Amino acid sequence: MPAAGLKRRKIELLLEDLDQVPTLPGLAHHVLTVATTEHPSRRDLQMAVEVDPALAAKTVKLAVDLGRSADDLVSVDAVFNAVPLSALVSDMLSTQAADAQLLQDVQLPRLWRHTLAVALAAQMTATRLGTVSPETALLSGLLHDIGQIALRILLPRAYGQVLEHVETGGGDLLEAERALLGVDHAILGKHLAQRWGFPEVFQNIIWLHHQVQVPEGTRPGIGSLAQVLRLADLLARQYGYGYYASEQVRENSAEVAERLGLSGAQADHIGRQIERAMDLNARPAGFNDHPGEDQMQQAYREANARLGRLDRQRARQTRAAEDACAHARRIMILNADLATRTSTREVMECIANALRDALGCRLVVPYLMARDGGYVEGLRCTAPKGVEERFLYDLPPSDDLARPADNPPPHTLARAEASHAWLFDRQGPDLGPGPFYAIPMTAGNAVIGGIVFARDEDAGDPGPQEAEQAVGLAVVAGRALRRAQAEADLVALSEELADANRRLEAVHRDALQRENVASLSEMATGAAHEINNPLAIISGRTQQLAADEQDPQRRKTLETVIQQAHRISEIIAELRAFAKPPAPRAAEVDPIALARRVVEAEQPAEASDGIRVEAAGTEKAPPIRVDANQITGALGEVVRNAVQACMRSGGGTVRVRVETLPAGAAVRFVVTDDGPGMEPEIRARAFDPFYSGHETARQRGLGLSKAYRTVQMNGGHMALESTPGQGTTVRVTFPSAATARVEAQESPDGNPLPWQADETG
Amino acid sequence: MKDVYSTGEAAKICRVSQQTIIRCFDSGRLDGFHVPGSRFRRIPRESLIKFMKENDIPLTNLDSDKAKVLVVDDEPGIVELLVDVLERDGRFEVKTASTGYDAGLLTQQFRPDVIVLDYLLNDINADVVCKTIRSNPGLEDTRIILISGHIAEDEEDKIKEMGVDAFLRKPFQIEELVSRIGELLHL
Repeated sequence: MPAAGLKRRKIELLLEDLDQVPTLPGLAHHVLTVATTEHPSRRDLQMAVEVDPALAAKTVKLAVDLGRSADDLVSVDAVFNAVPLSALVSDMLSTQAADAQLLQDVQLPRLWRHTLAVALAAQMTATRLGTVSPETALLSGLLHDIGQIALRILLPRAYGQVLEHVETGGGDLLEAERALLGVDHAILGKHLAQRWGFPEVFQNIIWLHHQVQVPEGTRPGIGSLAQVLRLADLLARQYGYGYYASEQVRENSAEVAERLGLSGAQADHIGRQIERAMDLNARPAGFNDHPGEDQMQQAYREANARLGRLDRQRARQTRAAEDACAHARRIMILNADLATRTSTREVMECIANALRDALGCRLVVPYLMARDGGYVEGLRCTAPKGVEERFLYDLPPSDDLARPADNPPPHTLARAEASHAWLFDRQGPDLGPGPFYAIPMTAGNAVIGGIVFARDEDAGDPGPQEAEQAVGLAVVAGRALRRAQAEADLVALSEELADANRRLEAVHRDALQRENVASLSEMATGAAHEINNPLAIISGRTQQLAADEQDPQRRKTLETVIQQAHRISEIIAELRAFAKPPAPRAAEVDPIALARRVVEAEQPAEASDGIRVEAAGTEKAPPIRVDANQITGALGEVVRNAVQACMRSGGGTVRVRVETLPAGAAVRFVVTDDGPGMEPEIRARAFDPFYSGHETARQRGLGLSKAYRTVQMNGGHMALESTPGQGTTVRVTFPSAATARVEAQESPDGNPLPWQADETG
Repeated sequence: MKDVYSTGEAAKICRVSQQTIIRCFDSGRLDGFHVPGSRFRRIPRESLIKFMKENDIPLTNLDSDKAKVLVVDDEPGIVELLVDVLERDGRFEVKTASTGYDAGLLTQQFRPDVIVLDYLLNDINADVVCKTIRSNPGLEDTRIILISGHIAEDEEDKIKEMGVDAFLRKPFQIEELVSRIGELLHL
């Protein structure tokens, strides 16, 4: 029948907009009254729900809407446990009563009575059986006719006809529904239950409660419950709680009871108890009340007012929750951010930014105390600019007031002005107007620093919640800072180790060089005697031959022999001079004048084009105590070496600079060239005698090593630094005359002095 | 061979004091002449021989008027070289020693005008030899030339303290050595 299909579709569409069904005015009035009281009790609400199919459906739907797992919502008790009281109260406050016309047209009270009777009978049956949960039986009884309730409410007039049809002509209600509406309430109820997300067991009961027998295999667990419902439905109708007044019950309840394992007498006993149960449960819930229009309006107004209050309260709670959420989010972001920061300074910057964003600060000053309390480091961060200044303050031990207290109550927010005098004394004007607040940062039980901040002008005093946020950040910050500090300590330790290693290596190299030089000296002295004798004979004899020689060519050859013999002798002499140089005749010398002299003396001839030697550096330097001639020679050697380097790269500039080291303790001559630089292996041997790293060797490779020795003999130190392609820098350092006097008293053993050891060459 | 002698040389040859020669010259017992325009006396060889014969003075010294040089070195090659060089020159009578001890002995016997002395010797070093010679007043005219390949440039002060008259470094120029000997002996 095409008309039936169309009707069915119309109904389905109507159903889709149905979010709740109204209830009887008496029940509505009762539940509204309960929900409007100052402290509604869960038990009172539950009792109201347990007698009302509309409220039961509404509550189950609420629990489902709140995201509870539907499969757990198989009893009113379970539903109530799954939903917070506040949500239940709000939901109940929106309860609607069916209007009077509707009540009359579709006989809602009768349907309610039927439903409740079935629910109570089912509960009693289940209790008697012991195999089905009585609570589940009750709730399925309340919900089983939800489809019929929906139909009656959505289509009162059409359903009126259905009722009229079955009342006058008898016959099956479902068949009449299908004939007149195109769909029966069992199918429709299932759809609604599905849409509202009811547990599957209720969906099936709603769908199958008119079936004579439900095969256990197809719907596991439903069979007995469906049978219980079936029996309850029969008993309810037999004992006067039918759908309509003239309803005839054809089925025999005893048969159904027997299928469940109950006797007919037992079933009848249950049927007889229905009335009493209805009276006990329904009456207190207002089932039999008939509140007037005015009463209902009053209840609605109060419920509305109550809802309004709840709404405002909820808005406040939501806002707090949002704040807490934002705070948690900030801490999470801060933690993630901090995880990548390793330096204390970076950590402090993160903290400053986080606090600024959290509390709306125009100024944040995080600071960290040194482990020994000797100094404080920190930074000043302002709202638009970010980090304005990083600072490092010496806190003298007497500065007790200035020091953050040793034992403050952990993690509290307090005014900063008095406790942080050290900060205000030093930065006062830069900090801007107050008020200022401070939170200590702790790690373990120790205070390791703190955060001082000032809020935006219009922000006012931080409230308890903001204080809590600030404290939360400080806790995270303290931990991160301690971690960064530990990391920095580790780095410092490894640097110290590397430094010690470097010094050791330098000392070792020095010792090796000294040893080399000592054995060289010994060898050269022996050589001087042993070699010069034969040389003298070679030379003398050859001189005799040359004197007698008439042939000029042969004479020239003989003269070459003589020259070369003498050259060997010179080499030995030079070697001896290197190994055992003449003792310096020290006097106070002006380093600037000395450098100028070297630059003048070593100016290359005009022929060596493109190479210049120039002086640079300070105008004034403290005097040094050296043998001026020796040092002029040594520096000259260094400059000549640099000039030669420049020549190899076809031009360049050699600069001789004089630097005064901090506190005037030492003076340094720095000779730089932009020549080709040295490969590491050449650089390492640059000071070795007779080692000449390049093809076109210097005379005998003694230049730099002799200069090195000379500088050493004069109490100085020479270091060379070179990178291929980037030129070479030689640093020749002497203690200033004043320093040398002090050191001569303190270091009589001639060990390398601290400022010498830091040079590695 | 010389033709004319100074009073000092004559005194040496006759083994008498210079004052004795001057007295004899001035009293006319020894013939000679004054260097024109000065008071320096000069004695021709013939008149010196006549004077020596008249006074029974042996003529042995007269024939060896060559400068006497003592070469001291522990290196035979050096000694050979120096002997060769000095004998070729013709003006020198050369004796050699290879140890400090021999050097001392020969200085007493040979009475060298010049000692060419190596610094490092097998037994004692040159400074001891020098000290011995310089402490003997009879040897005050003996000149010492030190040659060494051992002494460094900054040790030359030490050489002066030793009382040597000249220093040459090994290897040396032969001509320089010979001319230094000539200078010291006013040859």
